[in-house]
Amino acid sequence: MAGDQKPPSTGGPGDDPSGAGQGWTALSYLIGGMLVWGFIGWLVDQWLDLGGIATGIGVVLGMAGGIILVVRRLGTPT
Amino acid sequence: MFGQANVLAQGQAEFPPSVEDFYLPSILPWGAHDNYWFTKITLMVWLAVGVLILFFLLSYRNPKLVPTKKQWFAESIYGFVRNNIAVDMIGHAGVRFAPYFTTLFCFILLTNAFAIIPFFQISPNSHIAFPAFLAVISYVMFNWIGIRHHGFVKYFKNSLIPPAPWYILPLLIPIEFFSTFLVRPFSLAVRLFANMFAGHMLLLVFTLGGFAMISANAWLAPVSVLSWVMTIALTFLEFLVICLQAYVFTVLTASYVQGALAEEH
Repeated sequence: MAGDQKPPSTGGPGDDPSGAGQGWTALSYLIGGMLVWGFIGWLVDQWLDLGGIATGIGVVLGMAGGIILVVRRLGTPT
Repeated sequence: MFGQANVLAQGQAEFPPSVEDFYLPSILPWGAHDNYWFTKITLMVWLAVGVLILFFLLSYRNPKLVPTKKQWFAESIYGFVRNNIAVDMIGHAGVRFAPYFTTLFCFILLTNAFAIIPFFQISPNSHIAFPAFLAVISYVMFNWIGIRHHGFVKYFKNSLIPPAPWYILPLLIPIEFFSTFLVRPFSLAVRLFANMFAGHMLLLVFTLGGFAMISANAWLAPVSVLSWVMTIALTFLEFLVICLQAYVFTVLTASYVQGALAEEH
């Protein structure tokens, strides 16, 4: 893993956000994922009266989505 | 500035403190409780604005090659924000945002610092309106910068469509929209507001709690002294929070501007 680290920032605007910004971005993706899809699942629950199953599925989907986003947006580019 | 001393002198200090304690009596008209046009909070905000303008004007009015103490101080603040926030987060393109970040940082730092400066002892940022407006400025700014840099369509395409196979995009785009355009201004505002609100509340609880205990039972006097010692300790903690929150707000704004300027990757 140590081999595929990026060279240090050259300061161009295309660089990934550093340190703190990256951390907050990751956190907001993970929480945001659960909230957004949990909410959509909850709406489906209210609509079809499924008793919470859709909310659960939504939260799990949202978590997966959040993780995918963190990997894709913040992961080491190949 | 005037409210607290009166309250303590007249023994009206009620325990536990409530949200009411954040709404101090009006200054003009004096002492009115239902008039919020000119309160201590208003005064402090304008004072902060005036102090900052004066400070930077005076320290840069006659710049020397070998800086005077005041000039050195102003230059270190600017240099800190420029190098450690703007350039660190955005790169060389960040230098042109450094003046705004410095203003933002100094304003938040000073208005936060009112929370522990004697006789002020409450921060304007413990009212949601001020952090909310600062967050709105940052929000409008990073979107505007992004739209100007990339053009409207490309900016939203960049920020909403992550590099991923098309079949998971429907899952990801709502999350991107939520975390980029809805959560950001909200979390900026609430983080600063909640920290300053909680800090003021904490100091109130320990100060007023000391008074409540000593007036309830003389045997509790040692405990109320302990409570006041805690107030002093918490004031130092507040100092840490004050600096940290000013820094975090500025760093996050810088990080959002960086995100708006970033090329697709």
